[in-house]
Amino acid sequence: MVLSGSYQNNQFYKPKKRYMQLKIKFCMAMALLLCLFSHAYAQSLRVTGKVTAKASGEPLPGASVSVKGTTIGVTTDVVGNYSLNVPKTGVTIVISFIGMKPIETVVTQAGVLNFALEDNANALSEVVVVGYGTQKITTISGAISTVKSEDIHRLNPVRVEEALQGQASGVSVVQSGSPGSGPTILIRGIPSFSGNEPLVVVDGVFQSTADLNAINPEDIESLNVLKDAATLAIYGLKGGNGVVVVTTKTGRKNQKTQLGFTANYGVQQVANTIGVLNGTEYAAIINEGSVVSGGNVIFPNLAAIGVGTDWQKQIFHTAPMQTYSMNATGGSENVTYYLSAGYLSQGGIVGGMDKSLFDRANFTANLNFQLTPKLKFIVNANDVVLYSKGVQENSFNSIIGAALNFDPTVPVLNTVPNTVGKYGFSNNILSEVYNPLTKLDNTYNYNIGNKLYGKFEFQYDVIKGLKLTSRFGYTKYDDNSKTFTPLVFYGPQNVDNTMAADGSTVTGAHNSVSHQKASNFGYSWESFANYDFTVKKNNHFDVTAGFSLQRSSGNADGASRQDVPYNSWDFADFSAATGVNTATNSAAQTGFYYQYFHRNVSYFGRLNYDYDERYLASFSARRDGSSTFGLNKPFANFYAGSLGWVVSKESFFKSDFVNFLKIRGSYGTSGNDNSSPQYRSISTGGPDYGNPVNSNGYNFDNTFYAGSTLATQANDNLAWEVLKQGNAGFDITFYKNKFSVSADVWKKDVSGLLFTPFQSAYVGTIPPPAANIGTTTSKGIDITLSYNETFSKSFRLGNSFSFTASKNLVTATNLDGSAKIPGGGYFNGQSQNVTLFQKGFTPAYFYGYKTQGLFQTQAEIAAAPTQAGAQPGDIRFADVNGDGKIDASDQTKIGDPFPSFTLGWNLTASYKNVDFGMFTYASVGNDVYRAYERNQTYTNKFRSVLGRWTGPGSTNDATTPRYSFLDPNSNIRVSDRYVEDGSFVKIKNIQLGYTFPSSITKKVFKSVRIFGQVKNVYTFTKYSGYDPEISNGGILEVGIDRGAYPQARTYAFGLDIKL
Amino acid sequence: MKKKYIKVLAIVVLTAMGTSCTKFASFNPVENFKITDLQYLKTESDYRTMAISVYSPLQWLNQMQPIGDIASDNSVAGGESASDVLPLQQIDDFTLTPVNSTLADLFVSAYEGINRANYLTQFKAANPSGEAITFAGKDAMYGEVTFLRAYYYFALVRMFGDVPLFADKRIDITVSGTLKRSPKADVYKQIEADLNSSISVLPAVQVQKGRITKYAAQALLGKVYLYENKFDQAAAVLEPIITSGAFSLVANYASIYTAAGENGPESVFEIQYTNNSPYYNWGGATRGEGNYAIQQNGIRGINGSSTLAAGWSTNLPTQNLNNAYAAGDQRKAVTCLDIEAYKNANPSLNITYQVAPYKNTGLYSGKYQPHKGETSGQVELNYLNNFRTLRYSEVLLMAAEANNRATAPNDAKAQGYINQVRARAFGDALHTVTSTGTTLRQAIWDERRLELGMEGDRFFDLVRTGQAASKITGFVTGKHEVFPIPNDEVVISGLAQNPGY
Repeated sequence: MVLSGSYQNNQFYKPKKRYMQLKIKFCMAMALLLCLFSHAYAQSLRVTGKVTAKASGEPLPGASVSVKGTTIGVTTDVVGNYSLNVPKTGVTIVISFIGMKPIETVVTQAGVLNFALEDNANALSEVVVVGYGTQKITTISGAISTVKSEDIHRLNPVRVEEALQGQASGVSVVQSGSPGSGPTILIRGIPSFSGNEPLVVVDGVFQSTADLNAINPEDIESLNVLKDAATLAIYGLKGGNGVVVVTTKTGRKNQKTQLGFTANYGVQQVANTIGVLNGTEYAAIINEGSVVSGGNVIFPNLAAIGVGTDWQKQIFHTAPMQTYSMNATGGSENVTYYLSAGYLSQGGIVGGMDKSLFDRANFTANLNFQLTPKLKFIVNANDVVLYSKGVQENSFNSIIGAALNFDPTVPVLNTVPNTVGKYGFSNNILSEVYNPLTKLDNTYNYNIGNKLYGKFEFQYDVIKGLKLTSRFGYTKYDDNSKTFTPLVFYGPQNVDNTMAADGSTVTGAHNSVSHQKASNFGYSWESFANYDFTVKKNNHFDVTAGFSLQRSSGNADGASRQDVPYNSWDFADFSAATGVNTATNSAAQTGFYYQYFHRNVSYFGRLNYDYDERYLASFSARRDGSSTFGLNKPFANFYAGSLGWVVSKESFFKSDFVNFLKIRGSYGTSGNDNSSPQYRSISTGGPDYGNPVNSNGYNFDNTFYAGSTLATQANDNLAWEVLKQGNAGFDITFYKNKFSVSADVWKKDVSGLLFTPFQSAYVGTIPPPAANIGTTTSKGIDITLSYNETFSKSFRLGNSFSFTASKNLVTATNLDGSAKIPGGGYFNGQSQNVTLFQKGFTPAYFYGYKTQGLFQTQAEIAAAPTQAGAQPGDIRFADVNGDGKIDASDQTKIGDPFPSFTLGWNLTASYKNVDFGMFTYASVGNDVYRAYERNQTYTNKFRSVLGRWTGPGSTNDATTPRYSFLDPNSNIRVSDRYVEDGSFVKIKNIQLGYTFPSSITKKVFKSVRIFGQVKNVYTFTKYSGYDPEISNGGILEVGIDRGAYPQARTYAFGLDIKL
Repeated sequence: MKKKYIKVLAIVVLTAMGTSCTKFASFNPVENFKITDLQYLKTESDYRTMAISVYSPLQWLNQMQPIGDIASDNSVAGGESASDVLPLQQIDDFTLTPVNSTLADLFVSAYEGINRANYLTQFKAANPSGEAITFAGKDAMYGEVTFLRAYYYFALVRMFGDVPLFADKRIDITVSGTLKRSPKADVYKQIEADLNSSISVLPAVQVQKGRITKYAAQALLGKVYLYENKFDQAAAVLEPIITSGAFSLVANYASIYTAAGENGPESVFEIQYTNNSPYYNWGGATRGEGNYAIQQNGIRGINGSSTLAAGWSTNLPTQNLNNAYAAGDQRKAVTCLDIEAYKNANPSLNITYQVAPYKNTGLYSGKYQPHKGETSGQVELNYLNNFRTLRYSEVLLMAAEANNRATAPNDAKAQGYINQVRARAFGDALHTVTSTGTTLRQAIWDERRLELGMEGDRFFDLVRTGQAASKITGFVTGKHEVFPIPNDEVVISGLAQNPGY
């Protein structure tokens, strides 16, 4: 605000001088225009009136009333009134308002003209932001999904991706429950085993999905998802995985200041718990396991044990979630603005706010300056402060993992005399799994980040229709984190103790504090021209051409130090810690540093053509250079074309039922440069842990000497991944514009997938260089359907459905197809991998043994294929390859973490002043792998063990084999025993709002609305765990439940005020 | 006018962009502060630093030691359960398949060592930029490099038989899949050549303990000759080690395996580990500076005031090995630590522990137990214990065997050597071997088991001496003399699999 004031004084109120200078430069064009204006003004007639919303009858302040084809226009005042001078009779004026269907009318005389705008249900006349420009939605022949600000607002999401889930067809979002954490997001299928994240473009500036944690969803005007080659090719290398175009709010010219305030406060809690054994049940089963294995009874007195401790109850807490947002929108003739400040704080339900939280404060200023009638300057500036704390997640020894697996006979608090430690301990579980409260209590960390992002942009109208844009975008993100690892006492016999029972330090153990600072800076400079012109009345061209330079870079350093005074977080700082490196301890003080950068240069162009908005064609091309490619292939070219036919515009098309019908198709390429530069480097020093793990150096008589080796290989032919995508679809609205359907079928072939090939082991451990060898193919269907109905003036109903389905197949990995990328690692007594990216299968499928019930008798075992160690009651594994024995080659596909299809249903209804919204999301056909069972001898067991095999005929369910301490059959190996159907229907959000009648509030407020909201209301699923929606980051991690952080159920109350 | 303006603007922009942008997208490794092959091996220091990393894979081969006993009658795999340490269980039970992560890791580790050695020999005369770098002691340094290459090839040929052979350069992915297995004899020829080359240039004494000496090269060559049944040559190459007087047997057998006993008077070659470096990582558990195999041998959940620290009850000595020791043999208690007996004999230590949950024998490898204070950082991965790879007592036993089996046997000499070892074991001269011929030979072989028990040699000895089928349950003659070639090498590299797998 201060900024805009000073600019105004200096520059903006001197239009005449500017005008003259420009006139000299472009005299011809200016003179022509001046003549036109002065001529027109002479015969003007005055029109006045009021603009209202047809449905509610409420006045519409800030609606635009303008003369078509000119720059003449005004906006309505606070009560919806306008006054406009029209150049002459017979001209067309356009009345428009965001979200409403514009009206065009021919003015024949001066006087009063009132307008009632209808809601723009089918959004046909809207303009969509695409790459390097905007396009009228009716003339687009590519595939785009859109989510509007009101749908985002209704959801009140923490992160933007939440609003895409189930609302934008073609986009798959698998959410995570941890506060502020990013979901797995895929646009149209799974092209690769990693690097599938779409590009994010915020107001024309490149960002990544990781940056979406920093955007206040309240600031967003619209989210457009570009999906097909026609819309992506202009992003070339960046566009391969789809693009999420985020457009933030701006003010409008001559708009009176509007202030908005929205607040939301809620409490979150865990929706359900997992069935584990209680104290007595646990003790009984441990006794049984021990006796069956030839050991002693461990708990002789079962009766004394009782139900024991429910550790899940101990770790889950209710946690607050609150959001506040304030904004101001408005504009004068030369300056428009959108200013906002937002604050979000989400506590974690695991461990509560003290240990797990995500806080965000946003400050945004979007300012547009009309410097001269032809020159516009735009500044978007955002500052975001992020603060978070986290707990260990997603493993058997995480907080949740420990709560599920820890000994339930242990009391919450430590009552054993002469031992330190606040919480109870187990004398049976002596390593790995600890009392979750001890673990939680000893978790100390924070991360504080500051992000500054935005753009400076000039737009210059050279002549009518020709606009030059030059834009400098930037993102600066710095963060600073600290972790303290105290000395911990886990129990007198625990082998992982760093503190002894008497509180003394275990010999050789140290507490430590680690600090890290990272600094990242990315910029892009892009200049392009858009030329929009019409030839011979109906041949409309829109040409775009330009170039782009981008650089992202960053560095980080960190230090850690042992021996924090008093073993206390209060003193956990490098400067307070006292550790000094000695000959026997070189880890007392350590540090690290790294840096990176990445550069791109690109040229791009696009031609959009339509004839009478009836026949549509588009062609785009981009040439990209990237600093990540091999020496031989620095540049890549991408092309795409599309065609469309608006059938309903044809004169022969006469239907009262169908209001609009467009058929469209596109084909083209886009790319991906998810790679790093390669070279034959020498690595010097100590062990450098790469993949595969490599190390340098050696010690002579306990003194370490650094060594060196050739550490990398180069592939000078490394190039980009190419995605070829074909798309066919149609858009239709019918039955009085009440129904609209947009459907697409697509097929995507990825080739040259950047893949690290397998190499012969005799090449050694030097990592093989990435090569362009993988291919995948995906095909799918995206459908958006909406139905809106106004039953009377006071009752309105809106429905929108989105349907997303894709089928994916890895068609090649390396040359002989033998290579596979394993993922989904977990530990349940042995390290196992569940997911695999392999030729001939769907990406990241679950890989393991198939079960065929249980062996009931010795005779059955003898008759079955050879299975080492099997006894009656053990799982019978399937001899998939039929070679008469059960071994590693019998492992096969046992599940797929990705759904066959997902469905979103957004229901909105309003009756008079009451509004209702419900969002439901369904995911069908996804499997979950249960990997949270640690299965140590004395760890707690899950309730299914109660139905275990106890003798021939007792059960034949492979999920409940006999129970014993010993497991010579390896019943715990990766098998479909642990695979569950994770299909679900989730009521993600219900909101009920009430807007106070303006008669009550209008003296002070424009509008006041209160609402109640419940998020993650209920999940219909057969899955036995917390939440079948499991994202752990990459696609190889989806659906692996190692005790994943469940999404919280939130009960919230909120307030929206406009003044 | 308008058009002209646009044209000029377009030309200016495009020209400016065209010239600067190609450069903008190109990359030079120096921008990432990376030293590449062309900037390296320019100085003596570069050569010497690189030679140190040829040693590193010695440490990575630590699983070869447990395997050498687990595969034999000396020990069982143990672990938490039948599904714990699966690769070792397979080896223990001879249910071996080509998919065995431990064997695959040993295979690739040995080849990394070979490639590192090859890179140095490839650029011995001239560095990658074509410059000749000369410095004092360069030849002696290369003696270490060729020794290490020989050691790695010997490890491979012992475990896998015929293996791909190359010594001219470090190979890269372009060679992947093109090599075939070379006959064992050719590999041995390379090993002999490398060791002879080492012997001719290495000094008898190295300032830094743990560096390869001439004696180490002679001892290894003697061992290689035994594997080749070249007994005359073996006797000839081993004899100078003994006559040099550089080594002696220590009286207290247990002291050899203590931290203080590392690189002691009996040590001919030890693979060095240390807990002084923060180089440990679960992602590469066997590839740090600490010895991963120590934690494996430990007793589960052991508590009390003894020096023993807890471990994973893997590689448990068998009663069969325990029973092989005669009364009075000080090696028994060290090789086969009977924890229950130890606990009962030392009540003041208040020892409690968990019985090994799987394949419990009650015995633990006392030579390589985790001890308190001998690890740091990631305690499981960072034990300091060196592997006593070649001890003087083995040199004596090898020389005894070579003399006994030579073209012109010298059993008196052989008896002298074996009896030195026995005298130390019993602390007296009352347990001498007086037999000759094949009885003496068997006595020497049996003595090797007692002296070198739980040091990773037993399985290879049994195969070498043709005793495997009679001593090891489950051993199939004609198949189990070698381990299977890792499956990926059959699939990716097209190597022929060993018979029977």
